[in-house]
Amino acid sequence: MSILKLENINYSYVDGGMKRQILNNCSFEFEKGKFYTILGPSGSGKTTLLSIISGLDSPESGTFYFNGEDVNKIGLNKYRRNKIAIVFQQFNLISYLTAGENVQLAMTETDNSVPKNQKEVAYALLEKFGIVKSKADRLVSRLSGGEQQRVAIARAIASNVDLIFADEPTGNLDTATEQEIVKIFKMLTEEYGKTVIVVTHSNAVSEFSDLRVKLEGGNLIQI
Amino acid sequence: MNFINRALKNVTRKMSKSLLLGLTFFLIGNFVIVGLGVSSAADNAKILARQKMRAVVEYSVDHEKMWEATKDFTEEESTEFYENNPVEITLDKIKEIQQDPRVKVVNAIGNHQMYSKSFENVLVGNEENNNSGGTYFETDEFGNTVEYEHIEPNISLKTNAFDNMIEFEDGIYKIIEGRMYTQEDIDNMSPVCLITDKLAEMNNLSIGDTVTLETMELRSLEYYEGATVEDITIEMEIIGIFDNSEELDPSDPEYDWMSPHMSPDNIVLTTESYINSSKLKLEIMAFDSGKLEYPDIEYYQDEANRPSLESMSYKSNIIILLSDPLDVDTFVKDYTATSESEYLVFDANNETFLKLSKPLDTLSIFSNIIIWLVIINAIVIITLVTALTLKTREYEIGVLLSLGVSKTKVVAQFFVELAIVAVIGFTLAVMSGSMIASSVGNAVLDFQVATADVEIDEDNDYNYYAETDYFTEVSLEDITSKYEVTISPWIIAQIYVAGLGMVLISILIPSLMIMRFNPKKILLNTN
Repeated sequence: MSILKLENINYSYVDGGMKRQILNNCSFEFEKGKFYTILGPSGSGKTTLLSIISGLDSPESGTFYFNGEDVNKIGLNKYRRNKIAIVFQQFNLISYLTAGENVQLAMTETDNSVPKNQKEVAYALLEKFGIVKSKADRLVSRLSGGEQQRVAIARAIASNVDLIFADEPTGNLDTATEQEIVKIFKMLTEEYGKTVIVVTHSNAVSEFSDLRVKLEGGNLIQI
Repeated sequence: MNFINRALKNVTRKMSKSLLLGLTFFLIGNFVIVGLGVSSAADNAKILARQKMRAVVEYSVDHEKMWEATKDFTEEESTEFYENNPVEITLDKIKEIQQDPRVKVVNAIGNHQMYSKSFENVLVGNEENNNSGGTYFETDEFGNTVEYEHIEPNISLKTNAFDNMIEFEDGIYKIIEGRMYTQEDIDNMSPVCLITDKLAEMNNLSIGDTVTLETMELRSLEYYEGATVEDITIEMEIIGIFDNSEELDPSDPEYDWMSPHMSPDNIVLTTESYINSSKLKLEIMAFDSGKLEYPDIEYYQDEANRPSLESMSYKSNIIILLSDPLDVDTFVKDYTATSESEYLVFDANNETFLKLSKPLDTLSIFSNIIIWLVIINAIVIITLVTALTLKTREYEIGVLLSLGVSKTKVVAQFFVELAIVAVIGFTLAVMSGSMIASSVGNAVLDFQVATADVEIDEDNDYNYYAETDYFTEVSLEDITSKYEVTISPWIIAQIYVAGLGMVLISILIPSLMIMRFNPKKILLNTN
């Protein structure tokens, strides 16, 4: 069964007086519990696609379904809060909160069932991703890039969602750290049964994925 | 990690920003507290001074205004003018005023000079030097000049249309035995009275005894054809004995000329209705005789002018005591609009008070202007600071939105952040402002008083006809001595409300900016 189904998604914008069709009747189904990578050259519309399927933007036309439910009916805000999580290239953590508090934030905002001992759960999650308690109590601005991305991933799964999007999650990291992050994504699908959809340029990342999808001519094609 | 928690952490962990904002709120708070403190002290001083003044309003004929209106008239024009401008307060109007819930007591007083028959008056103390009374001359029917002895009235019969008097409220009169006459006595025109304790003591009178008085000199009866001694005799049962704390002043230049009826000890109180009913017959006799004697005078020919119990109850002056001195101004305003004549005016003796309270008014206006200027500037400054801060917090807002946090909650977080800093800033300002407010307020008041002194000295305008017996005079010192700048809990509450109001208004424009934020543009374009 597909967790996310895209049906005839269209999206365009005007650039220098010229209309550019980024997504052209794009249709695709993402299976539950798989690790996907979406590949494509710069400007192919990967980030635009991600912004639409993560509920940060709306398509011009077309529909997409989460677990068979029309996302428009769920509501974009509620969809972002309860159904998905996003990991960004620049981590996008809240600078005046500690690593632990950033993770707790996701648990507070979601309507999904989350444990009551959120602080302990946040520590445990972070520890699983290699952030020890002493670091978890630090402001995120005092952590390294790799550590911050791990915090971002911990935050993504803390809200107990099934679908995680990542936009170039290793773009700002060195090769060694990139490997570690990719392993974590893999672990999320294998151990936690999450579906991970990563937009990336990196072959190293795509090699680890279960399925590779290419955005070409405004449509998704499985490689 | 709800928005309040986030706000708290932002405030505590971004200390430099919080300190700067806190300092801004502290300074604003000081200005506002000084303004509110001084303004409130000025208003309180006025209220206290007003409370010290009696809540007395006089409703009376404005003789000065009438004189101004008629000074250039011929005699005929003047007569017509007085006919067209009744200057009597009707009983209906007096009752309407008395029934106003703001009114405590109405003195619709009548003073009748009387001659005691069954008892002696209390001696004034000036009998040795008294030159009043004496003799006077008249021409008899045969053309001879006859010398008559003038007998001064010795009792003052004081009446009221109601069963209470301001003097009792003020404690000047105190009933020491028996009771005051009631509304029932007034309605039934009961022949009852109250006498002073001095009169009772001197004549060995007590409750239940009867006193006899004559309404005029016996010799005057000859002017009323057919009138008998019974017509000028009134008999009343004593129902109460009262103490009158008023005393004559022997140093008064008029003291030697004072008749016994002017002594506070020779006062008898009775109902207006009874004395009017007793005097009505003679009044009608006088009118009828005038009608025959002066056929050319329109007044006597007009039956509408025939004396009646109602017309005898008309007054040219009543004194109204209100329950609350602070109601005086609105009371005067309300009733001035319904006055029976433009020459019947309500006077609360306010002119002096208003003039003396001018420095406090200026102080209050000055303070209020400062408060509003500070508040407006504060709103502009805080709005700008918050709007500028938004740019640096764009990512944070984007992240929150991407996590599904509603924009309303983001705005709420910004509001709480400002509110926390504002509360801390204002709390510190309450402490420091209390000290500043007192010295600033006193300095400005001193300056205002110095200016006001000159203005008051130059003013010689006073109402010659004004009845001031019931009024309490107030001095500039009375008013300014009540001026004390204290920061009351009410002012503190006002400051916090004003502060939160400022924060609320200041967050409006940044809120609109937040509502326009698009998380995609913030989070993804930059990647």
